[in-house]
Amino acid sequence: MGKSNSNSKKGFSRRKFLARTGTGLVGTLALLYFGRSLIRREISGFVAEMEFATDIDNFDTNMWFEVNADNTITLKSPKVEMGQGIFTGFAMLAAEELDITLENIKVVHASSLNGIISNTGVSNSTSSLYVIIREIAATLRETLKLAASKLWGVNITTIATKDGVITSGTKSITYAELAKQTTEWIAAELPTLRPASAFKYVGKEQKRFDLLDKVLAKPIYGIDVDLPEMVYGAVLYSPYFNGKIKSIDFSKAQKSAGVLSVVEEKEWVGIVANSRYAAETALSSVKVTWDYIPNYSTNDTEKAISVGNGTEVNIQKTGDIDKIIGEEIVAEFRTPIGFHAGMEPSIVVADYKKDKLTLYASVQNLTFMQSSVSEALGIDTDKIDIIPTYLGGGFGRRAFKHNAVEAAKLSKVVGKPVQLLYTRKQEFQNGYVRPNTQHILKGKLSKNGQILSMQHDLATGPMAFMAMPAAEPLLGADFIVAGHGSRITYDVPNINTTIWQNSLPFETSMWRGVGMFANTFAIETFMDILAHKANIDPLKFRLNHCGDTAQLKRREKLLELLAEKSGWFNPKPTDIGRGIAVCDDHKTISAAVVEVKIEEGYIKVKRVVQAIDPGKVINPEGIRQQVEGATMMAISASLYEKGTIEDSQFVETNFHSYKVAKLSDTPEIEVLIYEGTDKPYGVGESPISPIAPAIANAVFDLTDIRLLSLPLQQVFEKGNAENKIDA
Amino acid sequence: MKINLTINNQEKVVDIDPDMPLLWLIRDVVKLKGTKFGCGMALCGACSLYVDGELVRSCSYPAKMADGKRITTIEGLSENESHLHPVQQAWLDIQVPQCGYCQPGFIMAAAKLLEQNPNPSVEDIKNGITNICRCGTHPRIIKAIIHASKIK
Ligand code: FES
Ligand code: FES
Repeated sequence: MGKSNSNSKKGFSRRKFLARTGTGLVGTLALLYFGRSLIRREISGFVAEMEFATDIDNFDTNMWFEVNADNTITLKSPKVEMGQGIFTGFAMLAAEELDITLENIKVVHASSLNGIISNTGVSNSTSSLYVIIREIAATLRETLKLAASKLWGVNITTIATKDGVITSGTKSITYAELAKQTTEWIAAELPTLRPASAFKYVGKEQKRFDLLDKVLAKPIYGIDVDLPEMVYGAVLYSPYFNGKIKSIDFSKAQKSAGVLSVVEEKEWVGIVANSRYAAETALSSVKVTWDYIPNYSTNDTEKAISVGNGTEVNIQKTGDIDKIIGEEIVAEFRTPIGFHAGMEPSIVVADYKKDKLTLYASVQNLTFMQSSVSEALGIDTDKIDIIPTYLGGGFGRRAFKHNAVEAAKLSKVVGKPVQLLYTRKQEFQNGYVRPNTQHILKGKLSKNGQILSMQHDLATGPMAFMAMPAAEPLLGADFIVAGHGSRITYDVPNINTTIWQNSLPFETSMWRGVGMFANTFAIETFMDILAHKANIDPLKFRLNHCGDTAQLKRREKLLELLAEKSGWFNPKPTDIGRGIAVCDDHKTISAAVVEVKIEEGYIKVKRVVQAIDPGKVINPEGIRQQVEGATMMAISASLYEKGTIEDSQFVETNFHSYKVAKLSDTPEIEVLIYEGTDKPYGVGESPISPIAPAIANAVFDLTDIRLLSLPLQQVFEKGNAENKIDA
Repeated sequence: MKINLTINNQEKVVDIDPDMPLLWLIRDVVKLKGTKFGCGMALCGACSLYVDGELVRSCSYPAKMADGKRITTIEGLSENESHLHPVQQAWLDIQVPQCGYCQPGFIMAAAKLLEQNPNPSVEDIKNGITNICRCGTHPRIIKAIIHASKIK
């Protein structure tokens, strides 16, 4: 609605909205004050299965929607579009209650001073707003109806809405005209939502809204922001972990062509010039030596991240594993450091004017950016407007470590807008990474091939504590994010899961799927080992361990569907290996069957059938895109990707040293969607996790070689796949 | 140095450091933002455009080498927005983009591939294009190129 109605909050039923928002992570953390190990185990179980509720607490329609003069409605999205297609899903949800056609809903990013903002991550964008967007849209519709009833002096029950027009008897008015004529609004009570059976859009195929802009290459990304008078920054950071400037000489840079200013800080040096090339050329003439602790290498991280080292927290204990007698099967797994390597490097355009700072940014976590800039520059957060752009990939990388503080400082110094782009090398060396992990799994089987006991010891670096450093002493170890997926969720009578967290000299945090990616690799490969030991088909073996809970029933159903559609039980050529894996990522279930060949020493993924039960389906085509994308990213991470360290810096600096999957790695991919419940859950992350174990299991099926570490291709080549399985 | 070039059929004269990569000339000086930066080392293809009809990774191509040449960027690929190039049309039909950032580079590479090989096989496509996409649009890119070869 227009600006004239900002006093419309009167009579607005906020309590009803607030009552419905569930416990978020913050609430969960608060609970930790009350206990120790027992509570930690309970929290771990609770978080593993919970839906991520929203952190949003402002449901004022004005903050979300604007009725435009051309009778379209703008929805200001609190979440950022990084490729997931959420804008399209949001419009579909709004259209269900707004009585306006889908084409007439425009979705834009809210900015930190205009609209509601919320961190984008944990795959909850659509699921957490599934009800909220419809509620606010319905309230807006009823508010418009109230205004019309007042305007015409008719009873509200005579009023109908359709295609952006309000009618009563012979009277009619468009939403836009009504908004123009109304000066005093009465906010409606929250009406009852329309039932799913009445949905017109939700559940149907919908093309994404942003296709044409993206195909025509319209300037929609952070890197495309171009302001009048804008100049370019370049910043030198330490390539070494925690390096500080020891000596520096930038006299040459100061005289370099086009340079406007050189700024020296403790941990970086920034140059502003009238072109990017001039800034980068000047920067390359800076002579610097760094103070750092040398000689840290990949070996050191592997030593640090080993079961038995660091802080130990037991997060799952059922029955008593020690009472089980019998042969113990043991396997040790490792996963490497992973980079996000999104195609658009971190980018911020900062415009510091008097005491207002505007930041245009490719960013997932606006609140974090706002608070860090506010703190570093001493500006109140209500003077900082962050305008998010479309993101050239996110994958968890854009939650922290933006260059916003640097850009803002440089802009303040030169009094002009400054664009600051990470180089690709900085993106590798000065961001943060997925921590490496180690997993020791132990199991015992009964005579008839049922698992009697299972034990998982996970060693990892943290993922959650960059966002919540205060949580570290409470949690002990990051079992919530890095430990996500480490619990044994099969129906097994005796279980013990423990996490060992050690600190590392570089920053580690979220990467698509968080802990689920590494943990699923270990657990689902181990399930395959156990199945072979029991001499039972790996898919049947999994079905034999699906118990009676609603979640496990859904898993069973999905596995059966996958078996049927993938032809799991059909005969196959002798040069094909077939593997399967499954994971529950909160309430979403993903399962994949992978077929591989070995061609000239290379593992080639030939076919992937991936089944997903995301609960209620909003846009099937959007889900297919996400599952395909996650499958490709997982093939890349499983086969090739590995971050390594020499002399206290990351070795990988660009795509020549960090190999990623290309078109030549593309298998046939088939996506199966099964709507197992009537509530929507996350889609973006879950399907990334079953791929690595399914490939490893397929390689075993073909070659009898057990691959127990990632990246699989490298491990396969080195032949260090020798059985570390004690059985 | 003054550099003369024809960009998408328009003549331009720019006065810049001759060693500046062509990518920055196109993006920052001429302000055509469709061509993207991904790696700066000719590894990802995000910056692909045509110089005298040749597919070039402009991040690693000094501006001075483009003097007197004809440049086509993604903005100049289609006649206009209602008459899309078959590759761009196919990209819409198959719904290829996710984040979309790598797509201009892929579209330019795909259009060039089809010019040289109007009926490519899946293998031709897999071997002929070495760009990088991190969102995993690979299967749709392949489908869209096959589809585009039929629209033509
Ligand atoms: S930016 Fe030119 S190839 Fe990557
Ligand atoms: S669509 Fe995002 S990198 Fe390709």
